[in-house]
Amino acid sequence: SVDMLMSSDKEKDPDVIPEDSSLLTLRIRKKALERREETIIVDRACRQETLAYEMESHAIGKRPDNPTDLVEEGELLLTLNIFYPVIFQKHKDHKPYQTVLVLGSQKLTELRDSISCVSDLQIGGEFSSQPDQAPEHISKDLYKSAFFYFEGIFYNDRRYPECRDLSRTIIEWSESHDRGYGNLQSVKMEDYTFSDLSLKIGFPYLFCHQGNCEHIIIITDIRLIHHDDCLDRNLYPLLIKKHWLCTRKCFVCKMYTARWVTNKDSLAPEDPCFFCDVCFRMLHYDVEGNKLGEFVAYPYVDPGIFN
Amino acid sequence: MSSVPGLQADCEELLGAFQEADTVRFERFAELWRERRFHTIFYGRIRALERNKLTKKTLELAQQYFLPPYAFQIRVGALYLLYGLYSTQLCQPKQKIRIALKDWPEIQRFQQDLIDSQHYDAAYIFRTLRLARAFHFTAMPKLLNYRTKKKIQENEFKEEFKDPSNRVNTLITNDVLEELMNIHDHYQKMKCVISADKSQPDKALSLIKDEFVVTLKDITLEHQEWQQNRMKLFLNAKETDEISNKKEEGTLLESEGSERANALARIKYRSYSAVVEASKSRRHRQVKLESSDSGSNYGRSPNRSKKNSRRPQPARRRDSLEIEGEMQVAKETVTRHIGMPIITEENSDE
Repeated sequence: SVDMLMSSDKEKDPDVIPEDSSLLTLRIRKKALERREETIIVDRACRQETLAYEMESHAIGKRPDNPTDLVEEGELLLTLNIFYPVIFQKHKDHKPYQTVLVLGSQKLTELRDSISCVSDLQIGGEFSSQPDQAPEHISKDLYKSAFFYFEGIFYNDRRYPECRDLSRTIIEWSESHDRGYGNLQSVKMEDYTFSDLSLKIGFPYLFCHQGNCEHIIIITDIRLIHHDDCLDRNLYPLLIKKHWLCTRKCFVCKMYTARWVTNKDSLAPEDPCFFCDVCFRMLHYDVEGNKLGEFVAYPYVDPGIFN
Repeated sequence: MSSVPGLQADCEELLGAFQEADTVRFERFAELWRERRFHTIFYGRIRALERNKLTKKTLELAQQYFLPPYAFQIRVGALYLLYGLYSTQLCQPKQKIRIALKDWPEIQRFQQDLIDSQHYDAAYIFRTLRLARAFHFTAMPKLLNYRTKKKIQENEFKEEFKDPSNRVNTLITNDVLEELMNIHDHYQKMKCVISADKSQPDKALSLIKDEFVVTLKDITLEHQEWQQNRMKLFLNAKETDEISNKKEEGTLLESEGSERANALARIKYRSYSAVVEASKSRRHRQVKLESSDSGSNYGRSPNRSKKNSRRPQPARRRDSLEIEGEMQVAKETVTRHIGMPIITEENSDE
């Protein structure tokens, strides 16, 4: 026989810490709360906190409309941390990362498609003379090769004919001298799912695209799918945590996100200088569209674009 | 992210009280829980994001007590604690309890033990948790997160909660003794068959002691009892230290002094050596309180292993009901937790 008289006898407000508590945890928490009340003027959730909480919990409990998209029992759920390739000074101690949930039965290519990196959107080329002709091709379309590196095997993306085997250089390098690396192999990414891999939790692996943009991937957790998780297969790989990067604003209006960056600009106070589209054209070109002053200009994609 | 401050102390205090109560009934645990109003541990105006993290950490801490090498009673207490925390958490949807795959067979064995020893309330609670889908089955017990702290805090859990590491017992288990008995019988029979006199093995063939299985069992029993006594004495010693710190006088058996003080004292003196140091400095006081042999025993930690065998004697020589009562309890707990002595006696009774 089990008594269910566990919970409180009277209804109490969970926000108020009871006065005469014998629990050490509560006493400490109370002190911290009081201290906060004295020092902080406004105590409510800031934008970042709301966003973080939203991201974490937006997909909990979702079910698909189409029953074939339902995730089955016994499916594995992996939690991956994908680190940004950003190397700012302030990120020396802890690097920013995004957290993605993937299913065990998903192919590696699905993860590759879901990783959004700012280097994919770069537009190459100098366009000071013809600002209106900045092409629509972004690097993602031009350079499609990518690979994952897990446990000594390179998984290359070979879906399109333009994709090259980026890992070939590395394999040749390691085989040229006896550098102490075991057999490194190269296989196709699209043939493998996550369940096929043997992985170490907490060990850093690599994702490389665009030839030299490298992301570290760390697997933090593997567990069985649960009733309360999101069971819609289409939503995976699911992003649950993102680092918030501040966007660089235009130097002139300080309102819009920068879309152009100029170097050696005689009209700009600093090198490099960032401008939004409108301010850029107003400053550097006259009414007929002639270039004023000397400068080189590149289209700029801010890392915070995914906020 | 550091652990929740004060949480470990609170949990250990509750589990300690449960251990003192010396029962595994859920009603008793519920009483202790209600006394402390443990469900309020989640109160305090915490916003959703932080509440999720906090609850996760709380459940993780409680879950650690659920697995070996903790004593049976502590594990049952941890099960109740997990149930309580899971049911009273304020997160919506509820945060789950993480169990690693490698621990799962152990937990199933634990549940089987519960059912076999007819602790149906504990088994029911476990079943309720499973039905409520309270578990996440994971590869690793702890969720990884990256800390920038320079030192990693070693979580030292209380020594009293752990089952005395009974390596002798794990070697000489029930099954092993039974098998030894069987082999021994078989051996005797073989000897009889090949010797001239069919009912008695030849004198020339008696190369081993006939009673060795029984002797082995007796020796292991003795070892177990000695260990139990040593633990009890150790606990008593710590309590007396605290009391002699507080009052100038007092008898040895005033160990019913405030439980809270004892719990705090235990938290402070975590390692054996710390206690022994304290008693060294207070040896002059110790002699007043107890018989002189045990006083001198406490002082010498390096020679402990030699002097230890003498310790049970002072315990027995003290003619106080409480100590005997404790020994009785020790014997009973031995039989309840480990179960081996009783069963082998029934088997090899001759």
